[in-house]
Amino acid sequence: MSQALRRPETLLPLTALGITVIAFALIPTYTDSDISAFDVYNTFQIFARLGPIALALGLTMIAGEFDLSVVGTYALGGMLTVQAGQENFAYGLLAAVGAGAVIGLVQGCVIAGLKLPSMPVTLATYIALLGLTSALSGGLTKTYSNVSVTLWVDQTVLTYFSPRSLITLGLFGIAAVVLTYTRWGRELRAIGGDRRASRVAGVRVGRLVVGTFVASGVLSALGGSLLSFSLGSANPDPGVQPLIVATAAALLGGVSLAGGRGNTLGLLGGILAVALLAEIVTVAALPLYVTQLFYAGLLGTIVVIDAPDLHSALIRQRARLRFESARPSRAGTPPHRQI
Amino acid sequence: MPSTRTDEPLVRVDGLVKSFGSTRAVRGASFSIAPGEIHALCGHNGAGKSTVVKMLSGQEIPDDGEIRIAGEVRDLRSRQAAQRSGVALVDQELSVVPALTVAENLMLGDLRVGWVNRRRSSGRRFRTLLDSLGLGDIGLDRRVSELSMGERQLIEIARALGQEARLVILDEPTATLSDVESDYVYAAVRNVAAAGCAVLFVSHRLGEVLGLCHNVTVMRDGAVVATTPVAELTIDSLIVQMLGEAPHRLDPRSGDDRGGDADVLTVSGLSVPGRVDAFDITLRAGQVCAVAGQLGSGASDVLRAIAGLVPAATAEVRVDGVAVRPGHPAASAGAGIAFVSNDRKAEGLFLDKPVSWNLLATRLPHVTRFGVINRRRWTATLAGLVELCGLDGRRAGHSVGSLSGGNQQKVFVGRCLGRDDVRVLLLDDPTRGVDVGGRAAIHALLRDAARRGMAVLFSSTELEELLDLADVVVTMHKGVVVQRHEGETAGAVLLREMTHGAATVAEVPR
Repeated sequence: MSQALRRPETLLPLTALGITVIAFALIPTYTDSDISAFDVYNTFQIFARLGPIALALGLTMIAGEFDLSVVGTYALGGMLTVQAGQENFAYGLLAAVGAGAVIGLVQGCVIAGLKLPSMPVTLATYIALLGLTSALSGGLTKTYSNVSVTLWVDQTVLTYFSPRSLITLGLFGIAAVVLTYTRWGRELRAIGGDRRASRVAGVRVGRLVVGTFVASGVLSALGGSLLSFSLGSANPDPGVQPLIVATAAALLGGVSLAGGRGNTLGLLGGILAVALLAEIVTVAALPLYVTQLFYAGLLGTIVVIDAPDLHSALIRQRARLRFESARPSRAGTPPHRQI
Repeated sequence: MPSTRTDEPLVRVDGLVKSFGSTRAVRGASFSIAPGEIHALCGHNGAGKSTVVKMLSGQEIPDDGEIRIAGEVRDLRSRQAAQRSGVALVDQELSVVPALTVAENLMLGDLRVGWVNRRRSSGRRFRTLLDSLGLGDIGLDRRVSELSMGERQLIEIARALGQEARLVILDEPTATLSDVESDYVYAAVRNVAAAGCAVLFVSHRLGEVLGLCHNVTVMRDGAVVATTPVAELTIDSLIVQMLGEAPHRLDPRSGDDRGGDADVLTVSGLSVPGRVDAFDITLRAGQVCAVAGQLGSGASDVLRAIAGLVPAATAEVRVDGVAVRPGHPAASAGAGIAFVSNDRKAEGLFLDKPVSWNLLATRLPHVTRFGVINRRRWTATLAGLVELCGLDGRRAGHSVGSLSGGNQQKVFVGRCLGRDDVRVLLLDDPTRGVDVGGRAAIHALLRDAARRGMAVLFSSTELEELLDLADVVVTMHKGVVVQRHEGETAGAVLLREMTHGAATVAEVPR
């Protein structure tokens, strides 16, 4: 607990998840609807839709980078899955994952090799990938005719889950193990926290950056594939909403925009909170603008929570309280005129 | 001398050459280090020490020459290659990652730690290592961001010493440490050397060089001047080797008469919770005053609090009789208080920007008209400042990051000079990491600033600097003022007060 007080951002994922779970549980009190097992299932379906790109984005953010191209890779992955996997879903999946890996490799090499900031590089990639996806599909939504796969990925498993949501949970599980128990995870946080110090300490910064972008590309493409299997179609432009929601989830999960901070469990908490919120909005039949305003407010709050000045103000307040309680005679300070 | 020392060198550096553009940073450096030897590398700023360290640690590739470790020529073209060849490094700049825990930082770059974290087995090793450096109370799972700067430095030293390397390079490892912490480092370095390791120790503290090392290689202008056993050296002869001549000694201070009549800075009741308690000081125009205290004594906090950089500070600060609200840097700057931090890279200079930009960054209203730079005024002001600071005018267009540490510090100090709006100049350890020659130049700059009517307040731990530069020395220990000294003062008294505080409570002035 004392650790949480020193670093309030560590409480973010748990607080966000707690609030949304309470709001979800209280749905019958402020709407006419009851909560059913389907609502929980549906929450995990939303989680499955956004989880892979939130995880991809979160990993690059922990490494001190930012991958705007995740939605482009997500769209291309979905489209390749539909176009190459009509006969056999595995071909589609392989094409998507392979493309994601190549996109990540190229971006990583450009960013690490030429020491470029990731934002403009990944923005360019995002635009290029949307163009490429449109060119592949002729700008049209493509349908996936392998219905058996569509039925399989969304079938109910253990009441609340589907193979798709379980696969996504599995991806988070793998990421958690890698980030917590391996050198790669430690070094990923190190390069996000202080790149120069990591380099001096002997971390292969370039290779790690490339590896992180490859992982991000693969996860995004896989997310696109799973969505295409589920919808039975692929949309050439998913819009920017998935990116905004994934960013909100990552920030809510305690990942810092400055890099070096964050873990998979936090990310999982963040994305589950976002998924629950989306489900609450659906069940309570709230208009779309409510969600948008809510996300805007959420992002604003998170950014303020992360503000260095707020951190120093908290430290200052705690120090003053401690000091004044220890020395009550010096509690009053002389008034000052500001210049 | 440790018994493990042999005459056969473990590390041999032969004819190393390195140029950056047209500047030849190192021209044919050669020396060797035997197993068990602690070998010092000394030199003036810009002598080429850091470049040699960078080449040995795989951060720069030599243009010519060779590095032999255990008789084999090594191609150290990356940090990883150097680590595989058995070279561990404590960099001049603090190189621990604050976002990671102590254990995670110790694992960074450790070749014995595999792909999977084996926290339990490495934990025992790390615990012993930290205990040997006096960090027995630091938990392995504590985040480094929660530790003090001294503790962070010791963590970095522990990381290098624990890698069981053949060559351990320590580049100014004790610059930010207190005497007690430094003693732990000396003991640990001796242990590592006694185990047969070669140690390259780079330091500006000549006393510790002579006390700790076996041989000293002195560099000047990129070349090796001499390698001499410490038994044949004194501080004076070492300085002569470094500078080529005995350094110019500044005019001795003449006591209280340096100050004018008007009080420029008055600070009363300055407290920083947990760090400083009831600090008072009054400075007159033209006076140079020092707050003397070891790391953690509160000396540095006093300066930062006066500069408005400590939000939790409470005090009554007046500049020329006008009250300044504490905890607000803009208010302090507006009142005429300029602050030179002890961390010029993080809190001072724009390293990738030219010297000219850095020097003029604080006086843009003077060199601009309607927001547009007036070239003539810019050039004239720049020329004046470059001359005042003793910099090379031809390098005014070079990035500050390419200058040596001493010249960077001159730029940092010079930025606050020659300004009418600055009444009080605060400098936190102004000659940190600066060699003897650079130190004398910065002292001259500060004396000159005082002569022009500024009140100068600096913090330092170095006796020589305190005695040479300050008119008034206020010693601090554990957050409280021990004594105020004016006129003749014995260095031994200052040192005793800085390390042990007041002999009795009655001596502490309030």
